[in-house]
Amino acid sequence: MSDIAGHPGVYPVISRALLLSASQQLRNMASIGGNLLQRTRCTYYRDVAMPCNKRQPGSGCPAISGANRMHAVLGTSDFCVATHASDVAVALVALGAEIRLVSATGSRTVKLADLYRLPGDTPEVETDLRPGELISEVLVPRLDWASRSTYVKVRDRQSYEFALCSAAVALDIQDSRIVDARVAVGGVATVPWRLAAVEAALRGAPATPAAFEAATSVAADGARPLSANGFKVSLLQRTVVRALLELTEGSG
Amino acid sequence: MTSRLDGPLKVSGRAKYGADHNFPGMAYGYVVLSTIAHGEIEAMDVMAAKSAPGVIGVYSPFDPLELRTPSSPVFGETWVPLQDREVTYYGQPIGFVVAETFEQARDAAMLIEVSYRPRPALTSLEDGLASAEDAQPTFGDSPPSLAVLAPGVESIEDALAESPVVVEATYTTATQNHAAMEPHSAVAVWDSGGLTVYSGNQGSDLQAAELAGALDLDPSSVHAVNPFVGGAFGGKGRTSAPAFLAAAAARALGRPIKAALSREQVFTATAGRAATVQTIALGADTDGTLIAVRHDSWCSTPADRSFVEPTSHGTSREWYATPNLAISQKMVPLNIPPTTFMRAPGEAPGSFALESAIDELAVALNMDPIELRMRNNSTAPPGKDLQWSSKHLDECFHVGAARFGWANRLPHGHTDGDWLVGLGTATAMFPALRFPATVEVTLQADDTAVVSTSGADPGTGLLTVLSLVGAESLDISPDRITPRLGDSAFPPGGMSGGSTATASAGSAIMIAAAKVIDDLLAVASSPGSPFDGMEASYADGRVLAGGRTMTFGEVLRAVNHSSISATGSSAPGEELSKHSFSSFGAQFCEVRVHRWTREARVSRVLGVFDGGRIINEKTARSQIIGGMIWGVSAALHEGLEIEANGRLANGDFAGYLLPVNADIPEVDVHFVQYPDTLHNPVGARGLGEIGTVGMAAAVANAIYNATGVRVRHIPIVVEDLLDQ
Repeated sequence: MSDIAGHPGVYPVISRALLLSASQQLRNMASIGGNLLQRTRCTYYRDVAMPCNKRQPGSGCPAISGANRMHAVLGTSDFCVATHASDVAVALVALGAEIRLVSATGSRTVKLADLYRLPGDTPEVETDLRPGELISEVLVPRLDWASRSTYVKVRDRQSYEFALCSAAVALDIQDSRIVDARVAVGGVATVPWRLAAVEAALRGAPATPAAFEAATSVAADGARPLSANGFKVSLLQRTVVRALLELTEGSG
Repeated sequence: MTSRLDGPLKVSGRAKYGADHNFPGMAYGYVVLSTIAHGEIEAMDVMAAKSAPGVIGVYSPFDPLELRTPSSPVFGETWVPLQDREVTYYGQPIGFVVAETFEQARDAAMLIEVSYRPRPALTSLEDGLASAEDAQPTFGDSPPSLAVLAPGVESIEDALAESPVVVEATYTTATQNHAAMEPHSAVAVWDSGGLTVYSGNQGSDLQAAELAGALDLDPSSVHAVNPFVGGAFGGKGRTSAPAFLAAAAARALGRPIKAALSREQVFTATAGRAATVQTIALGADTDGTLIAVRHDSWCSTPADRSFVEPTSHGTSREWYATPNLAISQKMVPLNIPPTTFMRAPGEAPGSFALESAIDELAVALNMDPIELRMRNNSTAPPGKDLQWSSKHLDECFHVGAARFGWANRLPHGHTDGDWLVGLGTATAMFPALRFPATVEVTLQADDTAVVSTSGADPGTGLLTVLSLVGAESLDISPDRITPRLGDSAFPPGGMSGGSTATASAGSAIMIAAAKVIDDLLAVASSPGSPFDGMEASYADGRVLAGGRTMTFGEVLRAVNHSSISATGSSAPGEELSKHSFSSFGAQFCEVRVHRWTREARVSRVLGVFDGGRIINEKTARSQIIGGMIWGVSAALHEGLEIEANGRLANGDFAGYLLPVNADIPEVDVHFVQYPDTLHNPVGARGLGEIGTVGMAAAVANAIYNATGVRVRHIPIVVEDLLDQ
């Protein structure tokens, strides 16, 4: 992760997502494929004394009625509300990255976004990875205007903590108007969550704070807040707006 | 400034902490915890565990290690595990597996099947408020409720009703854990001489006494060793479950046993800080002069009601001059892990409430919060005749305001780009205490001296203080002093707690040093000695008489003594009938809150303290910096969430957040130095705890200044500052 974060050819949204992940020591050791396939930090998933549909299918989900401040509001089901914890996956999904999967019998290339499965009624199945397959490559499409991109991560402390909400954003602006946009969010959904509706609303809009607020009003559409994470609905829009503003105002 | 003597050993990994000790034939113990909060253990199926690889012992309430309940004269009884089948909290030690390796013990522990007969559990402080009980009297025998009323005033409510300006609010603080770096652990070894236990604690003689009580041994046959302690903060004042279990299992199995809690286990199998609820009403005249202070407190307490977090007694009882004062303390017994002393017990959460309330009063009065605090500066605790021995709190505020740029503070903060910036302040106070302590000072024939006491240095700098005060008392350079502590074989140094160790041990050193010098002079002038029959005196490490001088080593060698020793003891005494004693401080904080995403980040902090004489500014500053960071952590990060079933939702370092370096800016510390020799001969008052007092309120007050949002609970998190 450190090597890619420091590589000069990497889009800012990717390197920032990496630099805001984990600690320097962990980044030095961690691989990109491993990061993409990391398991959820859900406290019930991690505690074998507790039921968990993801760990033990059919045993129940205590998070739905329990300590769920850190859990997802998007892409959830009645079986699982755990967030996907990766930062860089959010940036890669925003950019439409693909991954190459190799196995003893061959290889295939899939969209990273299609690798991740919503929990539905089988939260124990997290990806479409087949038995024997390894991630051998991550392919980021060339998107020259993604040099104007960033990653904003909101969390309970300044470093070494998972996101309450994060936003990966890239903007193609010409003559003060948005020609194209990429937006995905993390910390709020069961999988890296691309906001296609926000991207569509941004296309053609002026690059102004008012337009950003208008375009992001649909960001949390479909959200199903739990007892302690309702704030993520508001935070989600605010985080995307902040990221868009940072891209256009250079503020931080 | 003197660097910490134990620093090089610690940073190079050469300091040997309790669990670093290894012995031939040593086995490893793993503690098994309950997974319900309240009930009776019906059965424990240990068959699989017993036959697991490497297992040599499995202990449970059905097959216990024999332990008695030890009792200390000061702190009362200590719970010992496995003696009955009652479960009163989730994560209670209920078993102990001993195996050839740590991994074998842990794996076998996972195989134990426990069946419970559960009973309803009460785990929420909020839900339990209705069933609150009066707290037992706190230290000093204060009744839980007390009132000081001006002549002719019938009740605190009357005084509030007649106050032109009144603010009233309820504040809450979270359950916390000390989260010391060193988990509670022990290595226990038996030999013909008895038991030796290597285990981090806050007083080796106290630990030896508790172990002797638990194992029904003569105290002289228990040896507790802890020259290094990886953080304690009140959480290692009592002997821990792994220490009791390792000691008992080592006796039962005839092998050295090492036992350490995992990080997750530390959160339940030790003890932490209670959650609190506090309602404060302040009544003031329009010029800010306080007329009435009412502070009602509730705290959680474990089912055995073993500890009360005294928030109103720890703050409003003494902090401000007011003609009318009423405080109360209630406790709510819950099925939660034990609570105990944690850095500034009472004062830390109490000051969040009181100093937030004072800030709210300043807003209501449209008055500068520093001016309001100075207006109500006390010369003695309300209703008491004993004046503060030495109080320079106003100077702390003056110095602090100038250093911090307080004059630039705007009533509604200011902005810096997308960040809302605010300043906050708070008073800090912590009582100046002493505990009984005994120290031995030994002069040696090689012209060095040894200062020894059984007390602990849990990172406070006591080892260095022993060296410095010893050197000063013997009038020689510190490099000729060998300080020794953390061993119950040394004279009883008592508890490193209550911010007392420097004043307690320092006073005892001065007494012991004076005695050993007297003894030296007696030897020097005795018949046949170098100064036979002369009136000798002592200065600069030398004996002087008749125009000649000899070093003390030369004198000892001349009379064929290898050394000469004396002990000195100090304890609180008649000074308590003459003055009131406290350390004081002024906390300052600058907070930045993001306009869009509402994270609060501390960007500047300053603490100015009146702690009497500062013996060693370097370690004193370290103590204060650590305390101030604790305050920021309590304000913005730390809080254990207890679920309805009693489980800690975030009882590990992934979920229980502590600040990282990126959260903490440069911490500025300044001391106003007025030696307080009315308190003790050294003139030093405690600094270990006061650094954390008031800081959480200073953060909350700065957040109010920045955002206009008054948050009356800690920790303060993003959603508290979002308008949803």
